Amino acid sequence: MPTDLLPLVEQAGRNQWLAIAPELMLGLIALLLLVLELVLPKAQRGLIPGIAIVSQIAVLVALIINLSTPYIGAGPTFNGLLQHTGGGQFLRIFFLLASILTCVLGTVSLPRQRMPHIEFYHILLVVTAAMMLLAQANHFVMLFVALETVTVGLYILVSYYRDNPLTLEAGLKYLIMGALSSGILLFGITLLYGAVGAVPDADGRLHTGFEYQTLARFLATHPGNFLASAGIVLVLAGVAFKIGAFPFQIWVADVYQGAPTPVTAFLAVASKAAGFAVLLPLALEVFPSYASLVIPILSAMAAATILFGNIAALTQFNVKRLIGLSGVAHAGYLLLGVIAGFSQPQAVGAVYFYLFAYLLASFAVFGVMTQLGGSDDATQDMDHYGDLARERPFLAAVLAIGLGSLAGIPPLAGFMGKLVIFTAAFKAGHYGLLLVAITGVVLSIYYYFGWIKAACFPTNPDPATPVANTRGPVHRGLGLALGLLAIASVLLGFYQGALGRWLLGL
Amino acid sequence: MNAGLNEYLILSGLLFALGFFGVLLRKNTLVIYMCLELMLVASTLALVAFSRFNGTLDGHVFVFFILTVAAAEVAVGLAIIVALFRKRGTVQVDELKELKH
Repeated sequence: MPTDLLPLVEQAGRNQWLAIAPELMLGLIALLLLVLELVLPKAQRGLIPGIAIVSQIAVLVALIINLSTPYIGAGPTFNGLLQHTGGGQFLRIFFLLASILTCVLGTVSLPRQRMPHIEFYHILLVVTAAMMLLAQANHFVMLFVALETVTVGLYILVSYYRDNPLTLEAGLKYLIMGALSSGILLFGITLLYGAVGAVPDADGRLHTGFEYQTLARFLATHPGNFLASAGIVLVLAGVAFKIGAFPFQIWVADVYQGAPTPVTAFLAVASKAAGFAVLLPLALEVFPSYASLVIPILSAMAAATILFGNIAALTQFNVKRLIGLSGVAHAGYLLLGVIAGFSQPQAVGAVYFYLFAYLLASFAVFGVMTQLGGSDDATQDMDHYGDLARERPFLAAVLAIGLGSLAGIPPLAGFMGKLVIFTAAFKAGHYGLLLVAITGVVLSIYYYFGWIKAACFPTNPDPATPVANTRGPVHRGLGLALGLLAIASVLLGFYQGALGRWLLGL
Repeated sequence: MNAGLNEYLILSGLLFALGFFGVLLRKNTLVIYMCLELMLVASTLALVAFSRFNGTLDGHVFVFFILTVAAAEVAVGLAIIVALFRKRGTVQVDELKELKH
C-alpha cells in the first residue's frame, strides 16, 4: 500500500486555523486557569473564576462580531474534518453561553464544598471547546473524538463532589451508560465505514465512509444495504443515549439527581444540545435517502419519549429528578422538530429556537435551585421551596418565569419555541405525533405548576425532613444572570426580532 | 486456510454482543467495565478488517484514536470506581441504589 506523504503534508499546510479560533482560545484559557492557580498568591486565587467568566464573555463577543465568517458555505476545512455552517455558528454561541452560565452557577455552588475549584472550570472549558467542534464535525473520526472528549470530561464533572456518595453513584451510572452508548455509536460508525468501502474521486484520491458527503452519496445510490441499515440504527441508538430519548433514558433521573447542580444544568442544556448537534446533520444531510428507516425509528422514539418523560415527572418530589424527567420530554419535542425537518427545512431553525428558549428557561430554574441547594445538593425536595415567594420574591419570580417558559405558557419564550416546532410538524403532516406532543404539554403544566405552587405557599413543617436550604442573600453575579435570563425569556416571547429571523432562516 | 472479511466480522459481532449483554447482565462494576472495553475492541477489530480489505488507511488511523480515548476513559472510570469503593465499600451495582425516590 504505497502512500505518498507529500500531498498530505501539503494539505496539512493549508489548514485554516483561524476557522477554529474560538475553540483554540477556550483551550488556551483552560490552560491559563491552571497556570494562574500555580502562580497567583493564595489570597488572589478567588479571582480565577471571574477570569474564566470574563474571558469566555470576550470569546463570545468576538464570535458574535465574526458571525458571518467567510468559512461558512466554503466547503469542508481541515481536509474534510470540519464543515462551517450557520447552524454551527449558532450552536457554538449556544455552548459558550451555557458554559458561561454554568461557571456563574459554579461560583455559587463550589465554595460550599471542600473541593479544589479551578479544575472544575478547566474541565468545563475543555468540554465546551469539544462541543463547539462537535457542532461543526463533518467526519466520523472528528465526531467520535470530540464526543468522547465531551463525555470523559462530563464523567469527571458529574462525580466532582466526590465526598458525597450520591454524587459518586451518579458518576458511576453516567460512566457505564455513557461508555455503553459510545460503544454502540462506534460500532455503528464501523459498520457504515465497512459498508461504503473505498470510493475513488475524479483525482484518484480514495474517500471512505467516514466523510459525511461520501457516505451520503453511497446511501443515495445503494438503498436497502443491510450493513448500512444496521450502522444507521446503531448510530441513532448511540445518539439517543446522549439526548436521553426513550428507551435510553434510564440514566437521566439518577444522574441528574446526584450530579452537582451546576453540572446538572450543563448536562440538561449543553449535553442535550450536543446530541442534537450530532443528530441534525446526520439525520437530515447524511441519512435522508434512508428516511423510510430513520423516520419511523425517530417517530416512535419521540412519541415514547414525550409520554414517558411527562408521566414519570408527575410523581416526582425531588426537583432535580423532576427537571431531569421533564428534560426527557423536551428532548421528545426537539425530536419532533428533527422529524419535521425531513420535509420542512425551516424545522431546523425551529429546533435551534426551541433550544435557545430552553437554555434561557432552564438556567433560570437551575440558578434558583443552585442558590437554594445546601451543601448536600442531591436532596432538593419541593418542600424546601415552601413560602419562597414571601421570603425571596426575586427568586420566586425568576423560578415562575423559568418554569412557565419550560411549560410553554404564552407569552414566554418557551411558548414561541413550542409554537414554531409544532407549526413545522403540522406543515409536515405529523398529526399523530402532534397530538402526543400536545397531550404531553398539558400533562407538563400539572407538575410545573405544582412546583410554582409549592414556592408560593408555606408547606407544612415536617420535623422528619429538616430543611437544608440556605435562604441567604442572593449572590450578586448569580442575581444579575438570573435577572437577565428572566427578562430575556419574557422579551423573546413577545419579540423575536433579528434573532428569530436569523434562526428560522438557517 | 485464509480468514476472509466475513470471519472477521462474525468474530467482531460476537465480541460486541458479548460485551453488550455483559454490561446488561453482570453485577460487578469491574466486570461491566471490562465488557465495555470489549465492545470498543470489537469495533477496533472490525475497523482493521474493513481497512485491510478496502485498501484504505483511514480505519487503521481511527483505531489509534479509539485506543487513546479508551485509555482516557479507563483512567477516569477506575478513579470513580475506586472513590466509590472507598465511600461505600462495594462495587456491586445491585447494592448501589441510593438514588431512588
